[in-house]
Amino acid sequence: MQEAFRTVASREAEGGREIAVAVRNVGMDFDGVHAVKNASFDLPKGRFLTILGPSGSGKTTLLRMIAGFQTPSSGEIFINGEAVSAVPPHKRSIGMVFQRLALFPHMTAAENVAFPLKMRRRDARTIPERVERYLALVRLGGYGGRRIHELSGGQQQRVAIARALVFEPDLLLLDEPLAALDRKLREEMQLEFRRIQRELGVTTINVTHDQREALVVSDDIVVMDQGEIQQKAQPIHTYRQPRNAFVANFIGVTNFIAGTVRAVSEGGDVSILRGDLTLAGKIGDPANPPAEGDKASGAIRAEQIRLASDAAQLSKLDCVLAGTVTDTIFEGERMVYEIACAAIGDEVMRVFDHDPAAHMQFEIGESVFLGWNARDMLVFR
Amino acid sequence: MRAARTAYPLKWRIMDALEGVAAAIWPARFRRATPYLMLLPAVLLVGLLVLGLIQIADASLRTLDTTTFQFSDDYSIANFRRALTEPLFLVVAQRSLIAALIVTAVTLVFAFPYAYLMVRTRSPRLRKFLLIALFLPFFIGQVVRAYGWLIILGNQGMVNEALGVVGIAPMRLIYNYPAVLFGLVQYMLPFAVLMLAPALTAIPEELEAAAGSLGANWVRTFIHVVLPLARPGFIGAGVVVLTLSLTDFAVPAILGGGSQDFIANAIYDQFFRTSDQGLGATLALMLVALGSILVGLVFALFGAGTLAMGRSRA
Repeated sequence: MQEAFRTVASREAEGGREIAVAVRNVGMDFDGVHAVKNASFDLPKGRFLTILGPSGSGKTTLLRMIAGFQTPSSGEIFINGEAVSAVPPHKRSIGMVFQRLALFPHMTAAENVAFPLKMRRRDARTIPERVERYLALVRLGGYGGRRIHELSGGQQQRVAIARALVFEPDLLLLDEPLAALDRKLREEMQLEFRRIQRELGVTTINVTHDQREALVVSDDIVVMDQGEIQQKAQPIHTYRQPRNAFVANFIGVTNFIAGTVRAVSEGGDVSILRGDLTLAGKIGDPANPPAEGDKASGAIRAEQIRLASDAAQLSKLDCVLAGTVTDTIFEGERMVYEIACAAIGDEVMRVFDHDPAAHMQFEIGESVFLGWNARDMLVFR
Repeated sequence: MRAARTAYPLKWRIMDALEGVAAAIWPARFRRATPYLMLLPAVLLVGLLVLGLIQIADASLRTLDTTTFQFSDDYSIANFRRALTEPLFLVVAQRSLIAALIVTAVTLVFAFPYAYLMVRTRSPRLRKFLLIALFLPFFIGQVVRAYGWLIILGNQGMVNEALGVVGIAPMRLIYNYPAVLFGLVQYMLPFAVLMLAPALTAIPEELEAAAGSLGANWVRTFIHVVLPLARPGFIGAGVVVLTLSLTDFAVPAILGGGSQDFIANAIYDQFFRTSDQGLGATLALMLVALGSILVGLVFALFGAGTLAMGRSRA
């Protein structure tokens, strides 16, 4: 068994690092609804994995199966090489931070952190020192005597983390614990999770619908949709080389232009025909390449499109379209333009403009040109 | 004009008219008094109760002349002396108090799993069934239910018939202390479940999952998480069951068959059998005092639980 899942280990399992969690063909049905379908992945020891997906994608179900609150309908989960389907949650060595934290309101911060140690019957004399050390780790030294309701949202987060880590579990699970925080605090806590995870080297699985959080905190991202794993890759690959249209659309802001495949070359170049327009691009998923005549769509990120009032300024780019600005959205660090392009049937393209120096500004109704490089357009079936 | 009229539905116009009438009767500047006006009926009711209590206190201090059947004009504490020294009243008081404590403990133990299952079950059908089963006895009434138990538990009742089939001689299952306790527990169970359920609903299920993931099996989760958090519910349910059992009349009267009188039965006897209203009033006052002391003791020891209405968190 051990050998069987070693061989299917993903390519990110660098240098034969030990596998902490192996999910093998795991499925979960609720009354005939497939919440999770045939999910498989490996997580090497010490890495930070994020399961990213919209609500209802099955990501929380998958996490709850790893935690032991639900038993898979099919497949098996291995933790440190052992099948765990028959192991109840309290016998798994897993620390979990819950969505609504699930701190015990009738206990102080220190009592909350001491709880797993007491339940695991650790030497009572070492507990206070250990509790204080972990409170210090989450920067709550001296707050042990506070009641839970006397702590701020961020402090409660930290207590929950300390409680999940104090018994040195093999695995840390985070079930969207940051979802309820305001943006500033959320971003602070994301970095905090990353710092603590690196400091302790604990293998971590995080579940979120927040693409930014996934990109910021993770070593690896598993993207899920409708119960299926869409892609598992490092954040930078997830963003730059999405495997399918769902991933390309879910992470970042992406424009899709639908068309028919005109030609596919050996090197991965592909061109699609939309009306009279031929668009050159790259094959998005080499494992599932489009063939000539297929329906396909080209995906281009909003930040990879350049804007100019004059076509000549974009002459170095492979593809240039003319359009009319239909809306401008000021987002502070950038301007988002919505531009209707006649060549693609007045479909609206979204374009980011980060020009910090010139503060160029197009008005609604203004005619502009937009252009991009062929290598930035990924073509998906 | 026409459009405006159709856009303003009839229901709104009726409401406007009603509001107009209300404003004429009770102008806006009286608004600050509205809450007190709404409180008035309750205050009147409690006021009547206090008047009655004063009347009873007055009666308790007058002794009955058994030759003339007249009450004395002057006050004395003779009734209280009798109530505290006559062995019969002591036996009755002891019996009621011990029964109330046993019934409370047993009822809470039985009510908890029922309430827990009702709150936590994932099956809406099971929850509905448990709720209906809980409310059904309320429709039957206490007296009818007690008579029902007489029929079931009597010497020719269903239980003894069933025992006879397997060759066990008929047993006396009614007109004794256990029968009264049984009847009271059965009567109190729905009250306790209804008081416990909201307290259990208030405990997030996630807390129990968290305790599990932190290494607690279900027993330790129950002891360290569910029980302390359900405490307000236990206190609320306990106080209600304790006072209702202590003051119960019908169950000891019917299932005890006269041999298992509680304080309320003794009071009844004084008022309607021996017609000694003075002594009856004395016993009633002492029951009120006993109940108040018990409830006060519970509140002092454990807090007011759900009866504190969330003002002070335990």
